[in-house]
Amino acid sequence: MEYGIHVHDASPLPPDPRDACTASWRAILPSGPLRAIYFGSEFCADLLPGKAEVKRLCGHARDVGVAAVLLTPIASPGGFARIGKLLAGVAQMEEAPAVVFNDWGVGNLLRESFPHLQRRAGRLMNRGLRDPRLMEQMPENPKPAAALEGDRGQRLRALLAGFGVTALETDSDIDGNYLGNGTEGLQRVLYLPYAFAASSRNCLVKAEEAGSEDECFTKGLELSCKGSCRGRWHRVDRSDTQLPLWRAGNTVFFEVPQYRVETLIRHADRIVLHERPTP
Amino acid sequence: MEVAPLLEAGADEFFCGLTPPGWESRYGKAWANRRAPQSAGVRGVDDFARIIAQADTCPVYVALNAPYYPDGAVDMLANFGASLLDMGAAGLIVADMDLLLALAESGHGVRLHVSSLATCINAGSARFYRDLGVRRIILPRHLTLGEIEKILIPDLEFEAFLLNDGCVFEEGLCATTHAAGAFCTLDGEAAQGISPETLERYAFWKWTLNHSGCRTGNGYPMGPCGLCAIPRMLAAGIVSLKVVGREASLERKAASVRIAAQALQLAKNGAFPEKIRESVIALRGSPQMCMERHLCYYPDVWVRKRSAC
Repeated sequence: MEYGIHVHDASPLPPDPRDACTASWRAILPSGPLRAIYFGSEFCADLLPGKAEVKRLCGHARDVGVAAVLLTPIASPGGFARIGKLLAGVAQMEEAPAVVFNDWGVGNLLRESFPHLQRRAGRLMNRGLRDPRLMEQMPENPKPAAALEGDRGQRLRALLAGFGVTALETDSDIDGNYLGNGTEGLQRVLYLPYAFAASSRNCLVKAEEAGSEDECFTKGLELSCKGSCRGRWHRVDRSDTQLPLWRAGNTVFFEVPQYRVETLIRHADRIVLHERPTP
Repeated sequence: MEVAPLLEAGADEFFCGLTPPGWESRYGKAWANRRAPQSAGVRGVDDFARIIAQADTCPVYVALNAPYYPDGAVDMLANFGASLLDMGAAGLIVADMDLLLALAESGHGVRLHVSSLATCINAGSARFYRDLGVRRIILPRHLTLGEIEKILIPDLEFEAFLLNDGCVFEEGLCATTHAAGAFCTLDGEAAQGISPETLERYAFWKWTLNHSGCRTGNGYPMGPCGLCAIPRMLAAGIVSLKVVGREASLERKAASVRIAAQALQLAKNGAFPEKIRESVIALRGSPQMCMERHLCYYPDVWVRKRSAC
């Protein structure tokens, strides 16, 4: 088992990757080496780094002897064009990162136009249920066998493996068996400690930038965003769940109960730690 | 039965939800499609057979569009879907990739519609699904007309939302279930880090998505609406316009179809958006909701007022 850490800049990395987590998470995570840093965005194309930033973070990864992994989001036509342009630039770099795709169009683009870039299937390819209201009502840790057996995701994993995808990445869903038993040869990657509950293009944080009601939500979809959510995340209190929730940019996240992921942790090949919820 | 009055109102395609026999004993409360089987589904295959018969030459599509399925369910649903096609279903609306692949493997690709829950929102993604052999993509709600025009590619049909039932979240990226109550209902309330003014705008927008507080105007729904965008969608190549709300009363469904059919006819006769808006306001009332774009699925059909900033 190895670790990745989601980073926001080229700050020094902790000597033990588990130090990216709170003490309660550190207590249940096994030891393992840091093998990768993750950066980019899974939920919003407006938050994608530019080529220079990608190059800087790839250099940072090289300096600390780990792999660089670029996260790309699900994307509207404008975002898709931006991703294509970024990948075209990244593909020419000597130290190109692996790329996580969360959109079938981006996956196809990688396969057809940038086949030398290592491609990894991101968490949005898993559409499993992550409802915090239900997760907190399920006290049992998924049984070890349940995490490995069954046919859920089998055809998807075979398709991805056939497309030359090297890894299957996800946060924790309720069923807990999306990553399978590894027979397809895909590296099984688990994101901790946050799972996403819901995401939207109709971003509340973007709406803060709007000059009028006529530029908010549906009416503002085609307007560009300044990305003022960078570095911001806020607690969300809801009366229908006790789990800790956060809004970060256009996405609502929650902290997964530790007892729900102990089995998953045992079967993951890599755990990617997020210091904070990040879209 | 709803088919005859909806045909009379102007419907020329139908979609419905259906749950396989024996599903509940195996999968409990998990839904076989995105909506509640009790309130939004056809009761069983006998009813479905009657729907097919009454729809006559109009195609009837079946939604098997839960975003994912538990172990063992895909094979059960693939067999069930195949049997529905044998009964006369024109196609199946699918979101889960395992189910889509299972049906494509068994030769049904050409009768598959990719649900809006699959979140196909760029031409590259559409090409991916076309390569899998599907017939149609149902575009998600939160796209502009300009974006829709960029997503459409040859040799694939596209369907777009036309009337009713919005959601603040991207439906395919909402990992919660309405079985536990709509997660979005409480979203935004007292959110930290967001100004009261923005939260007020958010609450108003949510209210419009929820049919302006479940209102009707002269019997016509007051929810999300793309009627004035029909001319541009037809010009772009959209082949089907979706009137949603499976769980609604027949009265609301019929009113929705009537107003949609009228707008479609106007568009086919060459009417511009202004003319369609005029006719919609004449039926539905509440001109301010139209003139200020509050109900628009596709507000970019109109020019935006310039902000002072």
